Formats: sequence, C-alpha cells, structure tokens
Amino acid sequence: MPIDSAALRARIENAADVIGRCWPLQTFIAANPLVGFEDQPFDQAVTQARRLFGGRGYPSAARFRQAWEQDAIDPDVLARQLEPHGIAASPNDLLAQMEAAEREREASEEASDDPLNRVMAKWLAAFLDQGQAAWPMPNRAQGFYAAWRALAPYDAQIPHRDALADRPERPTQALAQVLDGHPEAHWEAIFRHHLARLPGWAAFIKWRAQQPRHPWQAACPITLAGYLAARLCTAQAMGLPLAPDAPLSVNGTASGASANGTDRPPLPALWLSAWEATYRQRLLGDIARAQAEPEGASSAERPDAQLVFCIDVRSEIIRRHVEQAGAYETFGYAGFFGIPMQYQAHGSDVRIDACPPIVDPKHRVVDVPAADRQDATADRDRWAALWDAGRTLVKTLKDNIAAAFGFVEAAGGGFGAAMAARTLGPRRVRQWAARWADRVPRPEAFCELSVDRAPSEDEPGDLPVGLTLQEKAFYAEAAFNLLGWSDFAPVVVFTGHGSETVNNPYKSSLDCGACAGNPGGPNARALAAICNDPAVRDALRDRGIDIPADTVFVAGEHNTTTDAVRLIVEAPLSGAQEQVVDRLRRDLADAQAGATAERAETLQGARPARGRASVQRRAGDWAETRPEWGLAGNAAFIVGPRALTTDVNLEGRCFLHSYDWQTDPDGQALEVIMTAPLIVGEWINTQYYFSTVDNAVYGSGSKVTHNVVGKVGILQGNGGDLMTGLPLQSLQSDDTTAYHHPLRLLAVVQAPVDRVASIIRRNAELQQLFDHGWMALVVQDPEQDGAFLRYQPELTWTPIDPSAPQPVPPTPAGIAS
Amino acid sequence: MADSTHNEPSTNERPTPHTLHPLKKIEIIVKGEREPFVQDLLDRSGVSGYTIHRDIAGKGESGFHEGHLLFNDKASLVMFFAVSDESKIQKIIDGLTPLFEKSSGVMFVSDTKVVRLKKFLGDE
Repeated sequence: MPIDSAALRARIENAADVIGRCWPLQTFIAANPLVGFEDQPFDQAVTQARRLFGGRGYPSAARFRQAWEQDAIDPDVLARQLEPHGIAASPNDLLAQMEAAEREREASEEASDDPLNRVMAKWLAAFLDQGQAAWPMPNRAQGFYAAWRALAPYDAQIPHRDALADRPERPTQALAQVLDGHPEAHWEAIFRHHLARLPGWAAFIKWRAQQPRHPWQAACPITLAGYLAARLCTAQAMGLPLAPDAPLSVNGTASGASANGTDRPPLPALWLSAWEATYRQRLLGDIARAQAEPEGASSAERPDAQLVFCIDVRSEIIRRHVEQAGAYETFGYAGFFGIPMQYQAHGSDVRIDACPPIVDPKHRVVDVPAADRQDATADRDRWAALWDAGRTLVKTLKDNIAAAFGFVEAAGGGFGAAMAARTLGPRRVRQWAARWADRVPRPEAFCELSVDRAPSEDEPGDLPVGLTLQEKAFYAEAAFNLLGWSDFAPVVVFTGHGSETVNNPYKSSLDCGACAGNPGGPNARALAAICNDPAVRDALRDRGIDIPADTVFVAGEHNTTTDAVRLIVEAPLSGAQEQVVDRLRRDLADAQAGATAERAETLQGARPARGRASVQRRAGDWAETRPEWGLAGNAAFIVGPRALTTDVNLEGRCFLHSYDWQTDPDGQALEVIMTAPLIVGEWINTQYYFSTVDNAVYGSGSKVTHNVVGKVGILQGNGGDLMTGLPLQSLQSDDTTAYHHPLRLLAVVQAPVDRVASIIRRNAELQQLFDHGWMALVVQDPEQDGAFLRYQPELTWTPIDPSAPQPVPPTPAGIAS
Repeated sequence: MADSTHNEPSTNERPTPHTLHPLKKIEIIVKGEREPFVQDLLDRSGVSGYTIHRDIAGKGESGFHEGHLLFNDKASLVMFFAVSDESKIQKIIDGLTPLFEKSSGVMFVSDTKVVRLKKFLGDE
C-alpha cells in the first residue's frame, strides 16, 4: 500500500511534540526543555522524559543534602510532606537511601556511544553552518536531504554507503521506502525515538523549518522530514534497527514515577516539595510582615523620578538600592516595554525581534541618523568601516592557507602582547577599550528611532516601519494600565537591561529575555519617544491618563554585570528636569556601589568592599566563566504594587511585575500579566530547573569544553548533540556546589481571588500549568482582609497563614554556599 | 460572499453565468502552534486558496481558550476554511486525522456551492 505523505507529515508533527524549543545562540531564549510534556502532571512528565532522553527529573540526593545542611529545607515542613505517606525514617536516612538508589541506577545505566548519532551530528553541523565554516558544504540550496544524499555515499563512517545514492529523491518517498513493513501505528514511536536521540539538533531543525523567511532557511532549507529520511536511511545502511528496543508510549501510564511499587510519589518529589514549601513559607512570611508594618511618611510625596525596570529577577537588587538612594519610585514591567518591534541598529544588516518569543513583532523600528547630526554620523561610519575592514582582513589572513603562516610571523607578537594584557589586566584593558569607544559617538547620539509611521520606508511583504498615532497611544496606555500608574514624577526612566561579557557565546542568555535575548535599550528608547510625543499625550488625556507638562521620559540601560545604569536622554530637558537627571546620575552610581557590594557576597573571589571593581573585572575578563549569575536563583513571580515588597530583601530571586488591583476592576491588565510575562517567567524558571537537575542532558555541561558550531549553537567537545540548556557555570559555584536552587516558580498575585479564578478559567493553558504542578500560585486577596489563598487543582483555594513561626530566617546570601 | 451561498437548491434549471456548482468546504480549528502545519498541509493539498482567522476564542475538551491576548500570540486558537473538490479535501482529512489523535482540534466538512468553479479548483 503506498504511504500517504500527508499522514507521514502528521506523524512527524506529532512525534516532534516531545522536542523542546531552541533558538540560535545569538538569541538564546530560556524555555522549558519538557514543554512537550506540559499537558501531563509534573511527576508523570519527568518520568516519561527520563525514559526518552535519559535526563533526571528531580534534584540529586547530593543537592538535597546541601539544601538540608544550609537549612533551606525546614525539618517541620519536610515532616509534614512525608507524614501522609507513612514515611517515618530520619531525613539523614532518607538522604542515604536516595544516594544508594542513585548509585544503583547509575551503575545499571551504561554510557552509550551511538555511531548513528555521530554520523548524523556531523552532517547536521556541516549543513546548518551559518557562516562559520571557511569551506561550506556543497548543494545546500537543494535542502538537507538532497545535499546529504549527494555526499553520504562517500562517508566512510557508513558501512553500506553505496546503496544510499539509489535512495529516492524526495524525503517522504525515502521515508516510505524505509518504513515499508512497519504499520502506521508504529511510525510515531520510531520518529520520536530518532528525534529524541539528538534532541538539541532536532529542536533547532524544528525552529528553522518554521522560519521560511529566515535568510539561512531560505538559502539552505531543512525540515524534520528531511532529517528523519536521512537518519533512517543511514540507520539502515549501518545495519541498525529502525524501531526502539522497547516501544515508547508517551501517553502510557507513569508506572516508573514510583520505584516503590505504590502510588506514593517518589522520595525526591517529596523532598522537592518540602524545599519549595520552605522557601515559599519564608517568602510569604516576609511579605506578610512587611505589610503589617506602618508605611513610611514619604510615600505620599511626588518622587523626583520614577524608574521602570524589567521584571527580571536581577532588577530587584538594583531597584532596592535606587529606592534607598533618593526620592525615587520604581516599577517592574516586561523589558520589551510592551512594544512588539523588530529593531535594526544603524549600520547593521541584522534585524532583531525585540519582543518575547510568544509575541510576534508587529512594527519595524530603525535607527536613522538625524539630519542635524551629520558630523557625528560621518565620524561613527568612518570608525565602523575601519573596524569592519580590519576584521575582514584578519579573518582573510587567518583563513587563507598561503597567508596564514606569514600572518602569524608578522602579527604574532602583537597578538601575543594583546593576549597577555587581556589575561593579566582585564580591568585595565576594559577601561582602555571604553575610553577608546567613548571617542566614537554612540548611535543614540546621532540617531533617532523611527517610531513615527513612515509608509515610504516600508518594504513589500515586510513589517510596517514605525507606529501610527493610535498604535503609539495604545502601547503607552497599555503600559500605564498594566502598571497601575496614575501620578507622574518630573522624570520617568524606562530602563532596559543588557549584560557585558567577553568571549562568552552565552552572552544573549544574560541579556533581556523579554527582548528575545537582546539588550532592552532600544525598546526603552522607543517607549520614551512615544510618551514624549505631544499628540500621544493628548490622546492619552482623552483616555484618562494625564501626563503633566513638566514630566519628561528618558531611556536607560541597566548593565546587569556591573550594575551601572546608563541614561539615554534624547528629549530636551528643562532646567528643573536637568537638575533631577544630574542628581539621578549620581544616585545611580551610589546604587551601583550598593548593589555590587551586595552581589559580591555571591560571586567567588569578590569582596563587598571592592564590589564595583570586581564586577568590572568580570565584565572585561575573557577567562571569566561566571561574569554574573543571570537569572539563577529565580523562584517566585510577584504581581502587585511595590508596596507589597518594599523593605523586603528578595535576594534577587523574584520577578517583580507592578500591578494595582484597584485600577483594574475588570481584570484586563491582570489577564495580560498572567498570560504573557508570567508564562515567560515559567519558561525561564523551568529552563534553570532542568539545566540544574541534569546539566549533561538538559543543560550544556561545562564551558571549559564548549565549542561554537556553525555560529548557531554549542557542542561539547568536537561533535554530538547541540547543547540547548544553560552551562554548568551559570548554575553552580563550583563543580559540586549549586548556586541556583532548582525550585518551581511560585506566582504571588495581589488581587481579588474571583478575578484571578476567572482569568485562569478563560485560559486553559495557564490552568494546565497550575493544575499539573509546573508552577504554583498564591493569591493575596485585598477584599478578604489580605488573606493568602493557595491555588489547588481544578480552581479550588486553600487559605494559608504565612505569618506562622519562621524557624530559620534566610541569610542575605542564602542561596550561595 | 459572492461565491458561496447557503445550501439552497438552485431554482434555475438552465445553466447561466450564475449556475451554482457543488463543492466541499472544510473548516479546521486548531491551537495557534499548529498553524504552520495546517497551512503547509493546505498548500500541499492543491486547494486554490484558504482563509485564516487568527486569535479566536472558544471552548473544547481542554478548556476555554481566550482570544486577542495583548502580549501572547501563541495561546489562542486559529481557524482555517477552504473550499475545493472532494479529492483535495480528502487529502487534508488524511493529514489531519492522525494529527487529531494526539493534538486537540476539530474539522468539519460540509457541502457548499460556488459560482466561479474554476477559481476553487485551482491547477488541476
């Protein structure tokens, strides 16, 4: 019977559900590697995933032991978790039990070296190269399967390679030939097995195949069908079985969830719950106590400036220090500032999707040199051209076989001296480079963002350039409504963020997740320009948002490595505003000193007294594997006014989204927060969780043995799967000590519980995440005297008392060892 | 809606420029993340065109799905409809039936009539 290609594609689509999400290295976006399992309860999902990928689903016994010894797991809370299951053994005995079970399991799991993986990973790395290879794979324009089919008959690693040349021309025909004799009911299991053998590459292909307009996909198309066809043909040519040894049923029962043969959750699941419950109890206790304290007298006065930071957990530390530095109010908002835009910097061919991956960009915003700043533009362009020419020359000399030897002879001394300087004095080299860079005007010094609608700049089939007045007013209104904003200070700063690190392929994992792994400055500039537009202010006034004439909006960018906040002032300032901005600049420097001193406690080798110098060294040191901690530590997502958490040290572990339940009676703003930023928070949290609990499978292993492949991703060593998670050094203080505590996200929302319930009821995917235990939710209901209610599956609520006695308060640097 | 009508019988016995020709209509509702798959399936099926409604709301087996979320373009449902002859609609059904074994979604096939037959049969 001929195989129907439509059915074949559908089976591949179904099988690919188990594969996680993956983006190119330049836009590293944190995502749940088990996203395909989120329709199942957490415990069942991690068991299924372990069978498929071999990855651990819970923290190791060693990790629990560290947490236990650091008092991160409360003995009473643990006892309450264990007691309903009739477990009476002492915690130390239980830890020993878990350690013994792990040793047993590890001994039974043989390390496999899959020859098929080695061959396929080699071909994928060659085909998917995006400009790194000096000698690219031929025939790529015909697609992966065709390019592979042309060359594979010469691959000495494939024993019966001669037959490969006779395979059908089209991938679906090849699959039909290979699957002959296998009933359709088995196809999905076969595809799933083969996709899961190289899940990183499979995830990247899945992403690429969905970007038909991506320049590399257009030039070198690849599909999962093409990959599977090549892989299954190769398997046959190597004499390997197509089907897995044991049938893989993803929807099967989770009998493996409990090794004890009962319905009892596995011990690590109970310990994880105890660890989470301990953290959550302490956090909610801190919030409840802070609210019980009387508010300061200054809160009613108009602040000098208001600063909006990203919801990112790193913002919490700098916000606290900014608030302490002067009469400043801070807010938390998704770092793309609600503008779904594609950004193109001056002099760059690259267009960046500067919005979260769950939002499609809708506008193109370009940096355009201003007519009255021709000198600065020419200056910048001259330097940029010189720099580009230099880089091209060096690359050509290095890659050219004939020139390479002479080049080393001539330039080796210079390169050696530069290497010595960068190694021995990274901070000084950074200062020198910064002074040099200061001589070249920054784009914002001579460019304007094209936020105004410019139909003449549109390109066919492309996003419209700029925004109409209605669109501008809409995004500005959305921002102020979501934040529950009513009174404006003389200066309002939208502060994006980006990291500063050198020789680090994972830089984008440290940039703004809400801007798809890019720095958030351009979005901040866009919203500031919009809010300074008098026509927008008129439109906003009609919608009930009255921005005073003496308020100016400026942009900023928070350097999360050094905690420096750079203000980008593009609008003219009045004398009074200028005074505020000058004072703010000084206070931001003080805040930087305070924040870096606090962070120095958690950075190895850093001293609080020299916090700023230490982070500056990290930002410039090419040998530094831990320039900053990124979002490590994240464990909660708090939605409410800043008053909810003022004076609480959240240790940089909480996403903070501003929200005022009183200004949002119909819950529209809260629905946006819970269906977008909170979902992205869950992606980030699960990425950190799984990268920590099994760094080899879900993370990317040690940076020491990383290699960049094809400018698209990272390999361990010289081959194998594409690494899609976070490196060990982003999560651990050293080889054995975890810095990140792998806890699932707790959402804390201050709003009437009925409002929250109706939002969850309307959004099935959100409810699924809570019902299946991928994240937890506690609501503080201001209409019930501030009672705390914990969400339980199927929209039920349990009152909790967070002011219960706290046996062990967390230490300020509690999450470091 | 110049080309399709309700399923009322034509009262005109004699063929005229406005004669109605019977065809099949397929309506498909899937999660937003399946949009590329369904679009690819429709493109390959040979139908001459289709309509996509994005960001629609509705309730199914897995619960309610809200549409028009401000900052989430992936969570809501998407609806396709296409009109063609039975053989091309069957190709679409062949691709969707296995998909719906695993993924939530629905399809409806019904009789419809059009005036400009050529427009809907595409390249034979």
